[in-house]
Amino acid sequence: MTKWYRENAPITAEKLADELMRLKRGSVNRRHFLGVTGLGLATAVLARAPGLFNSTAFAEDLGTQMSLATWPNYHDPATFEAFKAATGVAVEVNVFGSNEEMLAKLQAGGTGWDLFVPTNYTISTYAKLGLIDELDLSKLPNYDASTENARFTNEGVIDGKTYAVPKNWGTTGIAVNSAKIKKPVTSWKEFFEVAMAEADGRAMVHDYQLTTIGNALVSLGYSFNSVKPDELAKAEELLIKVKPHLYAINSDYQPSMRATDAWMTMCWTNDGAQLNRDMPEIQFVLGKDGGEIWSDFYAIPKSAANKAAGYALLNYLMTPENAVKEHIANGAPTTDSRVLKLLPADVTSNKIVYPDEAALTPLEFGAAVTLTDPGRAELMARFKSA
Amino acid sequence: MRALVSSVYLFLYAPIALVVLFSFNAGRNASEFTSFSAAWYGKALSNTFLVSALQNSLMIAFTSAALAAVFGTMAALGMERLGPRVRAVFDALFAAAIVVPGVVIGIATLVALVAVFSFVNPALAMIWPGDHPPQLGLGYGSIIAAHGLFSMALVAMIVKARIASLGRDIVEASSDLYATPLTTFRLIVLPQILPSILAGFLLAFTFSFDDFIIAFFVAGSKTTLPIYVFASIRRGVTPEINAIATLVLVASLLLILTARVLMRETKSKSGE
Amino acid sequence: MRAQFNTRFNGLTMRAAKNTKRNLVMAALVAPAAAWLCVFLVLPFIAMLVFAFGERAPEGGYQAAFTFAQFANLPTRAAAFWNTLMLAPAGALLCLLVAYPVAYYLAVRANPRYRLILVSLVVVPFWTSLLVRTYAWMYILGSRGIPNLLAMIGIEDVRMLNTPGAVLLGIVYGYLPLMIMPIYVSLEKLDRRLLEASADLGAKPVSSFLGVTLPLSLPGVMTGVALVTILLLGEYLIPQLLGGGKVFFIGNALVDLFLQSRNWPFGSAIAVTLVAVVAVVLMVAMRIAWKVAGTRQVDLV
Repeated sequence: MTKWYRENAPITAEKLADELMRLKRGSVNRRHFLGVTGLGLATAVLARAPGLFNSTAFAEDLGTQMSLATWPNYHDPATFEAFKAATGVAVEVNVFGSNEEMLAKLQAGGTGWDLFVPTNYTISTYAKLGLIDELDLSKLPNYDASTENARFTNEGVIDGKTYAVPKNWGTTGIAVNSAKIKKPVTSWKEFFEVAMAEADGRAMVHDYQLTTIGNALVSLGYSFNSVKPDELAKAEELLIKVKPHLYAINSDYQPSMRATDAWMTMCWTNDGAQLNRDMPEIQFVLGKDGGEIWSDFYAIPKSAANKAAGYALLNYLMTPENAVKEHIANGAPTTDSRVLKLLPADVTSNKIVYPDEAALTPLEFGAAVTLTDPGRAELMARFKSA
Repeated sequence: MRALVSSVYLFLYAPIALVVLFSFNAGRNASEFTSFSAAWYGKALSNTFLVSALQNSLMIAFTSAALAAVFGTMAALGMERLGPRVRAVFDALFAAAIVVPGVVIGIATLVALVAVFSFVNPALAMIWPGDHPPQLGLGYGSIIAAHGLFSMALVAMIVKARIASLGRDIVEASSDLYATPLTTFRLIVLPQILPSILAGFLLAFTFSFDDFIIAFFVAGSKTTLPIYVFASIRRGVTPEINAIATLVLVASLLLILTARVLMRETKSKSGE
Repeated sequence: MRAQFNTRFNGLTMRAAKNTKRNLVMAALVAPAAAWLCVFLVLPFIAMLVFAFGERAPEGGYQAAFTFAQFANLPTRAAAFWNTLMLAPAGALLCLLVAYPVAYYLAVRANPRYRLILVSLVVVPFWTSLLVRTYAWMYILGSRGIPNLLAMIGIEDVRMLNTPGAVLLGIVYGYLPLMIMPIYVSLEKLDRRLLEASADLGAKPVSSFLGVTLPLSLPGVMTGVALVTILLLGEYLIPQLLGGGKVFFIGNALVDLFLQSRNWPFGSAIAVTLVAVVAVVLMVAMRIAWKVAGTRQVDLV
């Protein structure tokens, strides 16, 4: 609780506790309670003045900390320092290796996240399971649906209700250290071949059913999203054959690639851009035979403890001036035309970040069914424990 | 022989030396040593999440170890007088609490608590007069309970072994001299078993402070130091973690040294 | 007569009252521990058993049912069970190989003046987080550590991290103090006069070691091996960090089922099986201890 808040509080903490006890005992009714504590007034004011949130003076108490669940190397640490300077809220960042892991945490209850970053194909399931709420867009004045590229944002909206707003889009391709691997890798078929030959013991796959199984399927000529048992069986056969040759099964491959412990990996756009920026010998290629195109969203868990701070951070990140810094640092392509305009030319002309449309054609968006399909989940678990 | 033993000590301490060294690294990366700086200590201590994780860990370790020391000792004293069957059941349960792997304890506690909460929370909501009934959930309580289980069994085992070695004659002598049981306990038994209780407390504290896997399952939204460290290994370790680890090491070394000195003093006083 | 009866009666009631009081005190003493054991050990275990016969809900989690499907699916984790059952004893034995000379040196050879300090030094690493120390090994075994040094002398591209060797090294490192201590304790009790007597009778050092020291240290050895093996059966962190998701213990398979595939019933079935495995290993250890060392008890504390 900040000093400012304490001085301006309409009621002391002791008084509040006291009134709360009276309310609990049933000696006062709810209206009396809200009236005495001033909470009723605050709620009423907030409800009538949505624009209030837009200004820097936050009407709601944002607390002093919040928690964000996201992906490895996905944000500019400076963003959170700036947010803390502006609002006094420190952001705890937790990273995860797969959407399944995020879902598992939310299902087990009590994550403490106030904001998280799910991928397009998962949002319908989160909404169906009641793990996320419809967003209150009045608390996100800096988000503008009309400037978003609908191709990447439509899965955030279900039955006309906005459950999630886009962070950025991207692709899942292959990062290759060309100083170590001479054979060109241009497809997932070649990825798995090289992993068992020139890159023996040096290739990484994600700890993530969607991409690891999906790309194995693609390399065999099947759909990235297949849940057909016979196709999955073939993919499993390939993965188990490749496993002894792998360096690791891990979605956080940047440290290993940078240390040159690993020479080739499944790689998301933003990581590819970051690796290539710092180590030009690491190249990022998209599979000719297919692969994933995705968009990541921001959503607020129903169980969030500090929703006010979650909305505040989200609104902060939706502000083009702030978002542009994130995009430059993180290297993922934006879905927002306002941000695109602000980005420097060397970012927008980077073919890793903004590939030609032709390179994107064979790619597929992840399908919701893959998130909950027991066959894929069990396949991945068998592959890892093999 | 000597060379072999020295190399084992080197093996034990090389990683610790590396942690201490990197805590003084000026650079951000934990991968290259650039130059000496104590800056990360300042950063670590001003990182609210790291500090609160440390506080949580200390609080949880202290509470679970203290509860374990009290309840474990009580159980060890009470078990003396139990019938052989009940005693065997107790022994088996304590042994199980120690032997069952932490990962299973974590999972079983999670499964049971989630199941219980799914009944209790809706019931609470039904009978609650206000709009926002309290929600039971995972947190400090569940970590303390799960850690305390192992710790209590540990303390009970250690204290029981000590009581067994004590012999009943001294207790009987005391009661023959018309001491009340409480006096006998206070003046005869307690001083004899106190070192074992303390040893049990310390072991329990260390166990809880270092435990990752149980807390990982039952911590809910709370963060302990090991959980924070695990998350930062995934996020990319900064020398902050090394700084905190070094501080914890130094603190525990000081604690051991003080304990040693205190023990030596009491020993020389009692003339042993 | 009447007076006599009265005194006797009073004596009886007094004794009865004393007994009730004693029972009450005893009950009060064991009650908190009993409650704790029931609520946080017995109840969770029952819940886990119930879950193990359930089904995975469509979106993951648990759904009530009565099926043996989870247990029928156990063979799919045979590799992880096998890995654990091979690497846990292997790790414990490797640990023993390193620990025994150290314990022997500390108990028999070391200068008594420094013995206490040397023994404390074995325990001190326990006071720094195992996570942080294992992370340090990730660095030492990674490209910038030992492989980098090897590259300087011309041995290029050696891979150490994420191999079974790395996991075994992490195991030996993490559990060494737990192995050294029980052996040290049993060797310390050893009466040195026995060794002298053995030497006086013309025994060579090797044969007095084999004939006297080794048999007497066996209880400690058994305790150490059993303790480390049992702890290793549920290991998660070391294979996770040093095995790169490639060296899988049953603990890793378990975490994976709860954290990724969200198959709580199958996870519960595996957890139940793991407990059974631990019980069997423990019984085998006791049997061996009884045969080898002549003690029935393997003290785990």
